[in-house]
Amino acid sequence: MTNIENMIICRCEEVTYGQLLSTANEHKCSARELKLRTRAGMGFCGGRTCRVSIDKMIEHVKPNITPGDIPLKYQPPVRPVTFGTVGEIK
Amino acid sequence: MRDVIVIGAGPAGLAGAISCAANGLLVTVLDEFMKPGGRLLGQLHQEPSGEWWNGIKEAERLHQEANKLAVDIRCGISVYNLEQEGHHWHVHTNTGRLTARFVLVATGAAEYPIPVPGWTLPGVMSIGAAQVMTNVHRVQVGKKGIIIGANILAFAILNELQLAGINIDRIVLPEKTPISGKAAEPEEIMKSLLQAAHLAPSPLLRFGGRFMKHDWIRKLGLTFFPKNGVKVNGTPLQLRKAAVEIIGKDQVEGVRVADTDVNGMIIPGSETIYEADFVCIAGGLYPLAELAAVAGCPFQYVPELGGHVPCHSEIMETPLEGLFVAGNITGIESGKIAMAQGNVAGLSIAKQAGKGTGTIDQQLQQAVQNIRNVRQNAAIQFNPEIDKGRKKMKELWKEHYAKGDEKFHKIG
Repeated sequence: MTNIENMIICRCEEVTYGQLLSTANEHKCSARELKLRTRAGMGFCGGRTCRVSIDKMIEHVKPNITPGDIPLKYQPPVRPVTFGTVGEIK
Repeated sequence: MRDVIVIGAGPAGLAGAISCAANGLLVTVLDEFMKPGGRLLGQLHQEPSGEWWNGIKEAERLHQEANKLAVDIRCGISVYNLEQEGHHWHVHTNTGRLTARFVLVATGAAEYPIPVPGWTLPGVMSIGAAQVMTNVHRVQVGKKGIIIGANILAFAILNELQLAGINIDRIVLPEKTPISGKAAEPEEIMKSLLQAAHLAPSPLLRFGGRFMKHDWIRKLGLTFFPKNGVKVNGTPLQLRKAAVEIIGKDQVEGVRVADTDVNGMIIPGSETIYEADFVCIAGGLYPLAELAAVAGCPFQYVPELGGHVPCHSEIMETPLEGLFVAGNITGIESGKIAMAQGNVAGLSIAKQAGKGTGTIDQQLQQAVQNIRNVRQNAAIQFNPEIDKGRKKMKELWKEHYAKGDEKFHKIG
């Protein structure tokens, strides 16, 4: 049986709900800090799948959104590309 | 050299490209998918007027119109970065770098899931994936499916799956967690569905739409909500049941479901297993704004628009010179709105490029008014408070970015 603690949130980096919740509760951290501590959102898809879930968990633990800020920063490349593609300007 | 690069060949991007090209600009459109149309390609539904909305036909119409105007459409290309240099924008793609003075970002929306234990099993997909498999790729999703999550998107796609002869066994809610939030509260769901009830094109939302507007009747309605659910075109909608786990060894075999109280809290000892070979999770949509973000565009969190949206004016400019947005990146709405917005963005670009005759201002005004008309006549809104969200953005723009005098210089 899979319980909710073992439920995967970030599929790329295989980070569970339990790991995220305990880290968020322990450090009362920002979404960015939660990402850096657990690697959630740092995988192949660039957080496209788990970003909303992570935002919601942080909102639950620390409800103070700054409307002008995106909690998890976007960084190029926003799609998976090879080193060759990024390194070389054609 | 080209004047405009449009990112995204959906309804907003194609409409934008068409109005740019119609005003004499050279346009290149880029899209990740193998053919143009974006989310239009999955849409098929009956309007309240009885007419059918066939997204594939709409996409073909836009594609042909763009072709006639010699718009250069390139499919199967991913944009991974967007950078400003002087008065130009560099668009980095997996097949090289393109440059233009104007960029229209029309990247649409992405789905977000509601994680459920077992959701990584093969056979679990987002509701939008089921739509793409069915209507775009014409692949049968499975023999018997369960939808987790009850929202407008889920109902629209349920209808499409039913039209294709795909068997959806039932719709249940997700279990209440900090992530699922309101999506797991029967009363919240009831409220949002009732707001659409008077406009519902099919009998799906007509249950009690008229007499359940008062809080106490709604509570009573939920208390006595039939255990087997209310049928939506033959599929039971079970607001008092929550998916606790998706089960299966190598693939989906079923869903473990528990009864809940009116607040969505699980009633211990009430679990049952329903068999299924596929599961669709309907979380919702959020504006896919990655490229506007890496370009350095300021953002605002507007829940009525679906989340963080790039700051933009009514004529679809952003605070960054030469960067425009249109479609679901500015807020979650229908494809028709996206087209109307794309048209505005295209005219806006043409105006800044000094194209169009003396009537361009008037055309732009009419196009902005057209967005409002389309919105007013829309059968169903993804967010019933969309007007409030649009107004918030308008105010924000007026306060922070509108530059009265400078604007007049640009017109000339």
